[in-house]
Formats: sequence, structure tokens, C-alpha cells
Amino acid sequence: MEKVTIIIDGREVEGIKDQSVLDVARENGIPIPALCYHPEVSTSGGSCRVCLVEAHQNERMRLVTSCNYPVRAGLEIRTDTDLVRRIRKGVLELLLARVPDSEVIRDMARDYGVGEPRFFKDEGEDNRYKCIACGLCTLVCEEVVGVCAISMLNRSREKAPGTPYHKASNACIGCGACVYVCPTSAISMKDEGDTRTIWGKQFTMIRCSVCGNPYIPDAQVDWIVKTTGKDKAFFEKCPDHR
Amino acid sequence: MDVDIKKVNEIISRYDQSEESLLAILQDFQREFHYVPEEGMKRLSDVLYVPESKIYAMGTFYKTLSLEPRGKHTVKVCMGTACHLKGAGQILEAIERELGVKRNHTTVDKRYTIESVNCVGACAMAPVVVVNENYYGHMRPSKIMDVLNKYK
Repeated sequence: MEKVTIIIDGREVEGIKDQSVLDVARENGIPIPALCYHPEVSTSGGSCRVCLVEAHQNERMRLVTSCNYPVRAGLEIRTDTDLVRRIRKGVLELLLARVPDSEVIRDMARDYGVGEPRFFKDEGEDNRYKCIACGLCTLVCEEVVGVCAISMLNRSREKAPGTPYHKASNACIGCGACVYVCPTSAISMKDEGDTRTIWGKQFTMIRCSVCGNPYIPDAQVDWIVKTTGKDKAFFEKCPDHR
Repeated sequence: MDVDIKKVNEIISRYDQSEESLLAILQDFQREFHYVPEEGMKRLSDVLYVPESKIYAMGTFYKTLSLEPRGKHTVKVCMGTACHLKGAGQILEAIERELGVKRNHTTVDKRYTIESVNCVGACAMAPVVVVNENYYGHMRPSKIMDVLNKYK
């Protein structure tokens, strides 16, 4: 692993070649806002455009998405210039027009001084009213969970994650990873007693043998046992009581 | 509409059993059944080892693929600028009135699916109606049913 030194906001910081600018910045405590990027999902990023920064290299400047821009020697990054703030404000204004109900987007937009969006307000339905269509949920489902139960359906303004035929999916294991990673809390999951409902499908939850709390869907246990060969008895207790 | 699973298998067998064949097979489903049936996508997922959600996503992405049963004949009414100025709106209304169906829907007898489309690239013939692959130019509301009646 080749180490390189770059400059972020005037500070010299060290990163590994090809690591993302965003990762290096965060490791060094330099905040860059980002929605669609998750460090555990290698294919994530590049879609929400919130993490745009100025990249200066070879006497040229480009605006790049820091989440997927590789670190190279001689790179200088500026994360908080007037230009970055102006462009980011524009991005947030567009996002707010799409998901006026999302608290996350509303708060970020307010911080950047976005008032009422000038654009057509999207009247979404179902989970679309908070969804910015970044696709992180589908990437987690495919890459990390490995079941690929949901995909991005339709396109342009109708683009949103969903299960095949909008029916309960055979592939879904009810793990809730999509809910967990969603930057705008757009996916609904309900846990009531022994039942979890997500993506129109119901799962029976297994209760911890010590505390008695329902903590994992049986379908998820079956999936983990099948893919990792782990002993099913391991899941009789919740992580707190193992 | 029942889908002939034998026909589904036959279409799949025309191609390499790999992910690259996906779109071509979906297009053949569309040609054969006039839509992409759920049974076809399920079978395809089993044969090609591609997650069903990816196949379905592809089906929702391309405009030429329909996930609902469609009419035997597709009637596209061009609503491009030239056709619009030459009265394409009245033609579309005439079709809707005569066939009792709204745009982007299929007649009850599954004979026609009516679509309003953007420019079909035949502005000199405006207003244009395209039935299946055939172009009809200089259309008038009074002539449209004579054209459509040719398609049984």
C-alpha cells in the first residue's frame, strides 16, 4: 500500500493511494457532508452529489465527488470555498424539491441557506416521499447482505427501490440493512411483537433465550447459517447475552 | 392471459445462458407476448442465475418493454412539435373516443394499445400515426379509423 500526502484545506494529511478523498478527510477529522456513501459498501457513492469538493491538481481545478475521487500525490482539496458552498446549496435545493418531507435534507438545506425550492415540488407516493434515489439500499442488499431482494425500479422522477412486481420478495430475509443505511430514513420497517414487516413481507422474529426480546428474523438466521455454516444454536441468544 | 411456459423456454434456449442475453430475451418476450410476463422473468432468473429484482428492474427501465399485457397492435400518435401544430391532439382524442380507451392504455378486446409519443422523425408527414411498424402521414381525425380497421 503506497502512502501519499495530500493537502486538504491547507493541512497536509496522509492517505493510501486510491483511497477516497472523503475517507482521508474523515480520518483526519475534516467534515464533508455525504448521503449516498457508506464505507462498507464498495460500490456506493457518486450519486447524491452533496460531497462535492474542489480538487486542484496540475494547476487545474475541478469539482469532484470526494466519496469516489482517488487520492493521488500532489492533490490539493478544498472543502469549504464559496464555489463549493454555492454548488452544494444548489444540489440541496434540488434534493429538497424532490423530498420536501425528509428531515435530513430539510436540515442540511437550512444549514446552506436554502429557502423554499424554486423548482417543481415532487408529490411522491409510498416510500418515495423521502427517497433521494441514491440506490445505497439496493447496493447493501446485493453486496453486503448478498440476497439482492431489491433493485432500483423505473427511471427519472419515478426511480425508487422496490421488490420485483412490487410483491413480497422470496429473496428478502428481513434483515433491515436497507433501512439501516438509508441516509434519509425513507424505508419503512415495523417490528410488532414477534412480527417484522418490511417491503410488504412479514417475518417471524426469534426471541433471545435470556432476555426474551425478539431480535432477529428467522429468515435471516437461516440465511446466515446457509451462507456461513455457523451453528444455528448460536442465534438463540441476542448479541447482548452471548 | 396465460403464458405458454414452453414458448418461454423456447425463447430462452435461443440465446447463450448468460447475463448478457437478458435484454435480448426480454425483447423477444415482448415481441411474442406483447408484454414481459412475470412467469417469463421468474424462469429467466432460475436459468441465468440473475436475481429476479435485477430482471424486473430492467423491465421497468426500458420503455419498449411493457410489464402489463398489451394490445396486439401498438398505435403511436406522434405529439412532436410539428404534429402537435398540425392537430395531433384531435387525432388522439378521436382514437380515444372511437375506441373508448385512454392514451397509454389497451382496449378491452386487447386489440390496440394507444400511446402518445414524442417526435417519430417524420415531421414532413405531420401529423403522423404509427401502427406497429407502419407510418401513416397527413392523418386526419376522420381518416384514423379507416387505418386502424386494417389491423384486426
